[in-house]
Amino acid sequence: MMMNKNLVMNKDYLVPLLRKLAKTHRLVAPVRNEYGDTLFTIITDLDRTEIDLDHQPQASLKPYFFPQTDTLCRYVIDCDPATGAMDYSFHVQLPQNRPTVYVGVRSCDMFAVMYTDMVFLHEHERDVYYKQRRDNAIFITIACNTPFDNCFCNATRSGPFLESGFDLQLTDLGDRWFVETGRARGAGLTEDWACFFRPADEADKRAQFQAELEARGRFKQLVHVDLASKLLAEDKVPESIFRDLSSRCQDCGGCAFICPTCTCFNITDQPRDEAGGERVRSWDACTFSGFTAMAGGHNSVDVETGRIRRRFLHKLQYDVDRHGRPSCVGCGRCVGMCFGGVDMIRFISMISEAGENGAEAGE
Amino acid sequence: MTFGSGAMTNSIDEIGQAQVILVSGSNTTEAHPQVARRIYDAVDRGAKLIVIDPRRTRLARHAHLHLRLRPGTDIPLLNAMMRCILDENLVDDLFIEMRTENYFALRDMLLQVDPGQAAAVAGVAESDIRLAARMYARAQRSVICYCLGVTQHICGTGNVRSYANLAMLTGHVEQEFTGVDPLRGQNNVQGACDMGALPVVLTGYQSVTDPVALGKFARAWGVELSNRPGLTVLDMTHGEQIRAMLVMGENPVLSDPRQDHVIATLKGLDFLAVADIFLSETAALADVVFPVATFAEKSGTVTSSERRVQLMHQAIKPVGAARPDGQVIMALSERLGYPMRYDSEAEVMEEICLLTPIYGGIYHDRLDPGWGLQWPCVDRSHGSTQYLHKYAFARGRGRFEPAKHVAPAEAADEHYPFVLMTGRVYHHYHTGSMTRRSLSLMRECGRSLVEMHPDDGRRLGIGPGDPVRLTSRHGSCSFNADLTPRVETGYLYANFHFPESPVNVLIGDASDPIARIPEFKICAVQVERETA
Amino acid sequence: MRDVMTICCYCGCGCGLYLHVENERVVGVAPSRHHPVSRNNLCVKGWHIHEFIHHPDRLTSPLVRKKGRLVPATWDEALDLTADGLRRCGEKHGPDAIGVLASAKCTNEENYLLQKFTRAVLGTNNIDHCARL
Repeated sequence: MMMNKNLVMNKDYLVPLLRKLAKTHRLVAPVRNEYGDTLFTIITDLDRTEIDLDHQPQASLKPYFFPQTDTLCRYVIDCDPATGAMDYSFHVQLPQNRPTVYVGVRSCDMFAVMYTDMVFLHEHERDVYYKQRRDNAIFITIACNTPFDNCFCNATRSGPFLESGFDLQLTDLGDRWFVETGRARGAGLTEDWACFFRPADEADKRAQFQAELEARGRFKQLVHVDLASKLLAEDKVPESIFRDLSSRCQDCGGCAFICPTCTCFNITDQPRDEAGGERVRSWDACTFSGFTAMAGGHNSVDVETGRIRRRFLHKLQYDVDRHGRPSCVGCGRCVGMCFGGVDMIRFISMISEAGENGAEAGE
Repeated sequence: MTFGSGAMTNSIDEIGQAQVILVSGSNTTEAHPQVARRIYDAVDRGAKLIVIDPRRTRLARHAHLHLRLRPGTDIPLLNAMMRCILDENLVDDLFIEMRTENYFALRDMLLQVDPGQAAAVAGVAESDIRLAARMYARAQRSVICYCLGVTQHICGTGNVRSYANLAMLTGHVEQEFTGVDPLRGQNNVQGACDMGALPVVLTGYQSVTDPVALGKFARAWGVELSNRPGLTVLDMTHGEQIRAMLVMGENPVLSDPRQDHVIATLKGLDFLAVADIFLSETAALADVVFPVATFAEKSGTVTSSERRVQLMHQAIKPVGAARPDGQVIMALSERLGYPMRYDSEAEVMEEICLLTPIYGGIYHDRLDPGWGLQWPCVDRSHGSTQYLHKYAFARGRGRFEPAKHVAPAEAADEHYPFVLMTGRVYHHYHTGSMTRRSLSLMRECGRSLVEMHPDDGRRLGIGPGDPVRLTSRHGSCSFNADLTPRVETGYLYANFHFPESPVNVLIGDASDPIARIPEFKICAVQVERETA
Repeated sequence: MRDVMTICCYCGCGCGLYLHVENERVVGVAPSRHHPVSRNNLCVKGWHIHEFIHHPDRLTSPLVRKKGRLVPATWDEALDLTADGLRRCGEKHGPDAIGVLASAKCTNEENYLLQKFTRAVLGTNNIDHCARL
């Protein structure tokens, strides 16, 4: 394993570096469009695109590795004219493996990629479609000096600065980037293009340390994620909380779709014409009632409260049991976007409050 | 119209800042989720929510007061509310004096109203009506949102006028965060009305009987124009006045009452052409069917419920040989000896701006990038109008139009003991031609359910999901039962999204005499369990 | 992959959304974070809006009725037949025997053209749409 190296890059050099990388890689970076929305965008013309490192991209990188709809294979219905017998044949369609540099990825989104790797690249059950897109990806992440309004990655330990996972992590030191190399590919990159970097000196390291310290003090949200996991594990969450939140859930699925770590999917066969069609994987959400619908119409979780419970328990309890940490990365995207205000922060603050009151009542 | 124009007076985002929200006849969380989102915001900020609805909708569960009226009794309920406002001196005298007319007619009528009796007609406790009246009248910023539950009655016009009366009586219009907001169903129903796709008005609600307006259009278009008001949908699809029809993307076979009459009328036509994206139930009866583009395959503007004119952008080429509707119209016009040569949608809009005062400044180049413009926008120097009637109503003074209770066209009796209401469900849209082709939505809601109170189900031996047959005085149709206390005993609720359960066969053709809106919300039916 | 900003085609709220386009197919959708109505979320219908666009039931060719059945035809054939049908009806029964239904799903420009066509070309005010339904 390569040791982390600390380097410094002049701010002016980022675009020239990306231009070099763009010769062999596809570039994906946050770009603020004419509507004021910042989206991860495939950059085809570096000179006419301004990379936006100031705003949180409205969606994570999830769609690049696990798209909303993904054609897994085509199927053809073969009908034997002599016997009339029908048969299916499948023709697998793997996505293109395109070496890509993802630039300006925030810590939470990087952490989310590491989480989805655990899901899709698990030792024995590798998902080839995910792997195809995930291989040959380089991540140049950006540490968050100033967390956004709804961020709480400090509470989920997935930011604002990362220790690992990235290829390069950039910290804004005003006139220069402090550059840390993580994976081997990142280190290789700094060697290939050494002209853009210089070794970090003590002053740089102190400035970087200071930036990290200050960033930690700038969070506006106080979210007790670990307490929430503990209360859930001890089954100390009053049913009324699930009931309240469930009655406000409008069943849109938006929280799961926007969540960088939600990976549930549904697979459907979609006919294209009489001769065949496509087998498509599409995003699903555990808040939908159809998520647990069984053949014949029975539904094992057909009460509203069951669905909201399923979501929060998965994020804060089951994943803690399985992976030792919650799958929420504190990006705050589900906050403020829910029609009924059913989001991670509200849920955690409701149960923490109930937990405290419960403790008081017990004393 | 009592204010002078038919549109939301506020913007959707304003609702989040209201202090009291009165929602009537709107299943907001399912039919207008973004509006419901603002209502939750407001309630979280401390606003009071009053829901007037016969059903216990999801929103009603969050209401501070749910007035569960009998369907079709909005007028007595509102008259009782207004009487209370009058009695308790919560009237905004200055507003009435400065901005309205015909107040005394309303006051005289209200003084005849017996609140106790009115409450009994509506089936709501008089004390709750008083509570609602005080809540609504005392707040500084009260907003009314209503939808088809108010309009789809034979007294729909009277209902709408009563809500307007209530708002004017208390001065709850003409300001930010307070007004009367009819929530429009379709993405461009507002625009289709604005554009004069109505039998009595040209663009921007200029009447075909106004010689000055008609003369302006005749000059611009270079032809003589008829000043004879045209027929409404119901008159076209029921009867024999019409011999040929051109239908763009509508599906009256599923959406209009008395399906048997509609089908007979359409089949009896000499000629029927339909343009649609799928072979709808109506298109299947046509002599010619045009394949047209979906929203993703064309550009142009649409006008939302909050009067926001926004530009859509073409994302992909039309599939197959489909073409945008506009090109079909232009090609037909050319063949009929009136070539329309527009190079772009923007050029069409320039003509709209020229002829339509409320759209006078809505040029495409001003709409994008950005979030469009809210009409009225009279010229290029004019910006968006966030809320209507700022200093005066569109028609000058707001006119009080007193309304009296009209009994529904149909009542339950021993043969038809249930009252059926119709509406939409969250996962589907109108006649379902788009949403029924979405696998995800079909998984969530794949069949047509009729809501029935569990007590009624028990009494009739009907269990959850059981097949039931509903029969009205006009027709009969099958559903699966959804036993839920959302409806009260004696009432049923069904949707019209599924062609296999065409609820419109049940509905009679009684309609509001002024607006010609059919009474979709009240239909007497009998229910029986179907044996497979 | 391209993101194209457009407006949702379902209810009257008027959400701004991005359609994800790949190889001339709409494969996904995302709400606009700064749009004053959508504010980073869509309802369940909006989130699945891409699913009907490429459905195999889409009409891809004009159809005309021959011997009682709808069969594929060329655009010219379909347009000529329609122009003829409307012209003949007008000549025989007068312009007010023709009815036109506009669509609350079509754009303003299309509705404008359709009412102009109805009034200026067909010569009747018989135009309406589903506003009441």
